[in-house]
Amino acid sequence: MRLDVRHRTHYRYANPAAFSQHLLRLSPVTVPGQRVVLSSVNILPEPEAIDTHDDMFGNRVHVATISRPHDELEIIATSRIDRAERTALIFEASVPWEATRASALGLDEATPVAELSPYAFPSTMSAPDPAIEAYVSETFQPGRPILAGAQELMSRIFHDFAYDTEATGAETLATESFELKRGVCQDFAHVMLAAMRSLRIPARYISGYLRTVPPEGQERLQGADASHAWVSVWDPAFGWVDFDPTNNCVPGADHVTLATGRDYTDVAPVSGIVVGAGRQLLSVGVDVVAAPEADGPVPSGPATIRQMQQQMQ
Amino acid sequence: MLTLSDVDPGIAEIREALLAGYRRPMPGVHDELLAEDGSVRPHWQRMIDWLAEIGRPGYEDASADLLRLRTESGIAFAANGAPDAEEDTLPVILTDQDWQTLEDGILQRARLADAAVTDVYTDRRTLGAGLLPPGLVYGGPAFAAHCAGWSRPPRNWVHIYEADVGRTADGRWVILGDRVDTPLGDGWLLSNRIATSQAFADPFIELGVRRLASHYARFQDHLGQMMGWDGRLALLTSGEKDPRFFSHAYFARYMDAALIEPADLTVRDGSAFVKTLGGLRRIDVLLRGVSDASVDALHRPGRAAFGAPALSLAARSGSLKIVNGIGSAVMAHRALAPYAHRLAQFLLGEDLLLNDAPCLWLGGARARRQVLDEREAWRIVPLNSRDALLAGGAEFGVTGGSGDGGDIETLLGRFGERFCAVQSPELAETAFWTGDGLTRAPWMMRVFASRTQDGWSVAPGGVATRVPASGVPSALGFGKDVWVLPGTDPTAPSVTTTTRLDERFAQAHLRRTGRDLLSRVADELFWLGRNAERAESVLRVLGVCVQRHLDGNRTDSDPDLLCDVIEIHAAKDDTLNGAARYRDAIHRLTRGEEISSVPSILQILRSGGMRARASISSESWRYIERLCSDRRWQARGALRQNAGLVRLIEDSLQALAAFAGSAQENLTRNYAWRFLEIGRRLERGVQIAAVAEQMAARAYPQEESRLRAWLTLSDSSSAYRSRYMMTVQPAAVLDLLILDETNPRSLAYQIERLESVLHELPTEVPYRRPEHRRALKLLTDLRLFDADALAVTDEDGLRPVLTEFLTRCLSDLAEISDLISRAFFAHADAPEALLSQARLPHDEEAAE
Repeated sequence: MRLDVRHRTHYRYANPAAFSQHLLRLSPVTVPGQRVVLSSVNILPEPEAIDTHDDMFGNRVHVATISRPHDELEIIATSRIDRAERTALIFEASVPWEATRASALGLDEATPVAELSPYAFPSTMSAPDPAIEAYVSETFQPGRPILAGAQELMSRIFHDFAYDTEATGAETLATESFELKRGVCQDFAHVMLAAMRSLRIPARYISGYLRTVPPEGQERLQGADASHAWVSVWDPAFGWVDFDPTNNCVPGADHVTLATGRDYTDVAPVSGIVVGAGRQLLSVGVDVVAAPEADGPVPSGPATIRQMQQQMQ
Repeated sequence: MLTLSDVDPGIAEIREALLAGYRRPMPGVHDELLAEDGSVRPHWQRMIDWLAEIGRPGYEDASADLLRLRTESGIAFAANGAPDAEEDTLPVILTDQDWQTLEDGILQRARLADAAVTDVYTDRRTLGAGLLPPGLVYGGPAFAAHCAGWSRPPRNWVHIYEADVGRTADGRWVILGDRVDTPLGDGWLLSNRIATSQAFADPFIELGVRRLASHYARFQDHLGQMMGWDGRLALLTSGEKDPRFFSHAYFARYMDAALIEPADLTVRDGSAFVKTLGGLRRIDVLLRGVSDASVDALHRPGRAAFGAPALSLAARSGSLKIVNGIGSAVMAHRALAPYAHRLAQFLLGEDLLLNDAPCLWLGGARARRQVLDEREAWRIVPLNSRDALLAGGAEFGVTGGSGDGGDIETLLGRFGERFCAVQSPELAETAFWTGDGLTRAPWMMRVFASRTQDGWSVAPGGVATRVPASGVPSALGFGKDVWVLPGTDPTAPSVTTTTRLDERFAQAHLRRTGRDLLSRVADELFWLGRNAERAESVLRVLGVCVQRHLDGNRTDSDPDLLCDVIEIHAAKDDTLNGAARYRDAIHRLTRGEEISSVPSILQILRSGGMRARASISSESWRYIERLCSDRRWQARGALRQNAGLVRLIEDSLQALAAFAGSAQENLTRNYAWRFLEIGRRLERGVQIAAVAEQMAARAYPQEESRLRAWLTLSDSSSAYRSRYMMTVQPAAVLDLLILDETNPRSLAYQIERLESVLHELPTEVPYRRPEHRRALKLLTDLRLFDADALAVTDEDGLRPVLTEFLTRCLSDLAEISDLISRAFFAHADAPEALLSQARLPHDEEAAE
């Protein structure tokens, strides 16, 4: 499946900002199951400097600096992505979860797998509490195949939690949304991470997109129209396998992976600092549509726009 | 060699008395002072003799000297300004052999700490080989992901290393903690050494104690190599609220580094710059005194944007070298201890020279079990101070009891990777001074190492403290100087006697700072000048009132008149009258919490002085410090005696005059001096105009007494008498205090000075800057007045011309102040975090 993504972020400031610096993780990279055909980020006003590098999680990071007074900022990221359908996996055939943990922690004479270790421990947003520990122990009985366990956990979160955009905020911790049993994709991902990491099972936070318009006859998925988030779990034979607790599915051709990290703070698409701006008005729109198979310009048609207004302080 | 004790029986007696309270060492516990047979160790002989010679009063004097020197240099003051009561003044003396063993071990340990941190952020060989458990690195908040996996990482993360070390009971050195995140305690070491070597000059010189200077010279050379030709060195501090600020400021000055705060920095095009009067100036090497967690606002997101945004980008690009690199905290405190032996083998190919105090990392189930089974034997501490909260909100270093996290077993099961268990070994003892002689107690010290061009160097010395039974010394108790005696090796390099500070200052003079003055520092100096003037004005008003009140002359001490004078500064309280109103105003100005009260102003002055310290001479700072820490201003109730108050006011005014004089004499006429001068002149102008309005806006019935009060306030009585030799006339007073440009206390003098200094500020355009024009216009208009015109009264006895002019003067000065601040001071509008787009309301219809 070839998808065109357009992600527009717009800030309006109450006062002209004298200076701003932005950390952008808006450029998808090629990963197993995903090939980036083209990708670009446009920023207005034009930054004086853009620094580009890859971080330790493999994400492409841009840091943009604007030092002229400006009272609005627009960032448009467009990309064209080829996504593969997920091949069918037999989850029961995966290794016991303890084996993955041993690989991440270097336990029981296991050779540590460097790429797993950073994801095995609770982070600030994915720290567990006794309730989460009790919840996960029901699923991860000793010897349970890791992917089967992850699938069950995803499914339980999907059924036990209500999708509710009012209940939580950007900085809500896993323990808080777990108590509420409510939240959005970010919260569900953090809960699932907290649950698995309480057992020191490595699991990654993935930010990305969902196809906005579903194929005919199918239901529209939650989390389209904005950045989405899900979780990925490792098995030595299958590699990283994604699980989307918001939609109770294994992401395939309709998901686009944008960035990977330990929790939201590692992957925030747009973050940064601004000096002298006062109140900020933020609006974000994401469009993900099927692209014509032949290469052509990425359409920049009307975006689905949502708006967020929040007063600082 | 004969020591004094051999020839003078009196001294021998005192000597015995000194040691009377000092029990013979317990068998098996090493004692620095006494050998096992109870005799004084040879290298302490000279010190003990000296103590006996000077006796108790002599020692108390020397000790008081030391504390005073420390106080004056600001060393004794932490954030709360309270000196630590536990500090002991008697140095610890170590032989060359003692030191050699420790030095070798610390040199190795510093290399090890660097190799371990650098490996974690680059090749991760230690993790791959299973030598460092992943949980130790990734399990806590210290790991800085944004500094890992760079394509061109720096060769070394750690350039400064400090260790807390002790001696076990058998006399062997042992590591109690590694300090690699933001060490920079060197300022403390250096200033403590200078104070101690002055207070105990005789034994210090006679023993030939090894100096610190050459160690820092080697570090300076290393930094010089890192900076390259024409590079700039800066020391980043989070400011005077940080308890380590003193050390930062002192060390910055010693190393000739600019003392900067995160707000001074900006990162452009992959380089770090500081904001100065002349624009942005690149920094090449940064001594980092701000912890990992709050050094880069961009990479540690959160609502409050602390730190210099994108600082790690400048390091990533290679343009900025950070000492120590961001992320060093990952191996701080006790993280290295459980693995030091095998890491030394693996990373250095060497056997570890110094052992650690027993330490277990609690990320593993087996270690957790052991520690829980032997609960009494261990102290459980977080690896990173940010995790202290997990342990029930307890202070760093205190055992986690039952907190929010439930019992300790559950807590360790959940977050074990973030904790370790330590044992405090039985430590060797050394001598401490008490009023009755010497006493003994366990001790430990902090030692300081830094990189040189071809390896590492350890400063010969340290700061020591008493170790209480809990094993956790007070953070501020490190005040005992550690003296290392020279070796007997004739091939050893001879002791250099110059201290580094002199050389550094000599070099600093060759480079004229000019426009490199930080915008923030210009701001601080400007306000230092203003606040010093404001303090003087309040003190003078108080002085005149109290003196007149004491003299009791009926006309001069009339309460209504005194109220008019004192209300130049004290807020009017119309509910009271006469004497009660006056007493109330005095009370509020001397003790009140009001912003205009002397204690408040002195507090503001001191805090401004501390921030601007690096730019004023140490002598100037000492006058401010002496004035502001004068305890008489804090003493409750003691001020009732007016005579005491008069003396206090006089002393304070003298200190201010000394500060003004010292700033005038000791500061080169660079931009730093100019901003101080601008602040001073501007504020004095404002004060004169305010006083004039209060004293002369109308012809009062007792005008002469009032005008005399004004002359006294302005310290111009004798100038007036020498000129007029007659009773006080309004026009003559106005001429002297408003118009006379030769009188340093006149308004005209202030405006003339202000105009002339403003003329020298940097400008990018061929015309005069707006604040300069404003001052020039004010000066010109002032010059066109004559005294008789100012003194004219109308039918109601008012002086409209004078009043109008004074009002205009006040508003012009306020505007000049605003213009200066807008043009030159970096607007430390704090950076704010951008709104996060993680969450959007689920409102399909909302449109832009």
